[in-house]
Amino acid sequence: MFSCGGQIVDRADCAADRSQDRMPCELRDAERVVYCAIVTTTLSTTQPQHDVHTELAHAGVYRVVVLNDPVNLMSYVVLVFKKVFGFDEQTARKHMLEVHEQGRSVVWVGLREKAEAYAFTLHGWHLTAIVEPDEKN
Amino acid sequence: MKRIEVKLSLPVVAPLLDVIKKAADELQGGLAVPLGTDVDHDLVEVWNAELLAMQNDGVAQLLAMFDSEFFETGMIAFDEENAESILRACAALRLHLRARYLQTFDDESLEIGDMDPDELPEALRMPFMCYVFLATIQELIIQNLDSEILGE
Repeated sequence: MFSCGGQIVDRADCAADRSQDRMPCELRDAERVVYCAIVTTTLSTTQPQHDVHTELAHAGVYRVVVLNDPVNLMSYVVLVFKKVFGFDEQTARKHMLEVHEQGRSVVWVGLREKAEAYAFTLHGWHLTAIVEPDEKN
Repeated sequence: MKRIEVKLSLPVVAPLLDVIKKAADELQGGLAVPLGTDVDHDLVEVWNAELLAMQNDGVAQLLAMFDSEFFETGMIAFDEENAESILRACAALRLHLRARYLQTFDDESLEIGDMDPDELPEALRMPFMCYVFLATIQELIIQNLDSEILGE
């Protein structure tokens, strides 16, 4: 998705976006606009304002990882996975056992905002969940 | 609406409530599972506040079950209205009890739960019994009200 070598900038902060000679490639992620390589070139020759900064950290694919804890019941963890992710019993059990035996399980992969929303929900159930970049993507 | 009523032994459960209440008070100012460093700096404060409010609401609901009626009848009841909150509250309190009072136990011993409370030192006996009691409540809810929680 972000392989065009573009930059992600906050739309509100982007002086370049206000100019008519920019060509957003229309890959939108929340309030951010991704610009293609050709636009990056243009930006570099027009002395972008100092506050136009790249936020590549927010780009790409992230994963939600649930970490093991020695307290929560296995049946509880299975229920939470079913409730939060809509897993069927078999999938929920598979992830629970991964957490239990390997210490962690990747339960969801996708855009950062949604990954953070899932992590928040899991925290609400008192599971230890982290969001990390998915290195495969 | 599906509802389960459980009659508890007052002489057994009543002493546990003091420990649970104390744990609830200790937990009031912090999350049972603190947020990790992976959480976006801008989100930490908002998440903390929202999660803490949710946690405190759940714990308050759990404690409210043990009201004057409970002390007359020994009965507590779960239904689709309170099941999810109570389930979460039990998890939060168990995590706190583990971290605060039961650190000397290894994970496996606590997971299997085959320790004899009578053989435990006084300071650990009640927290351990609370830990097991809260797990029992969770099991009861999951076995009987999972469909209601899942909205099936």
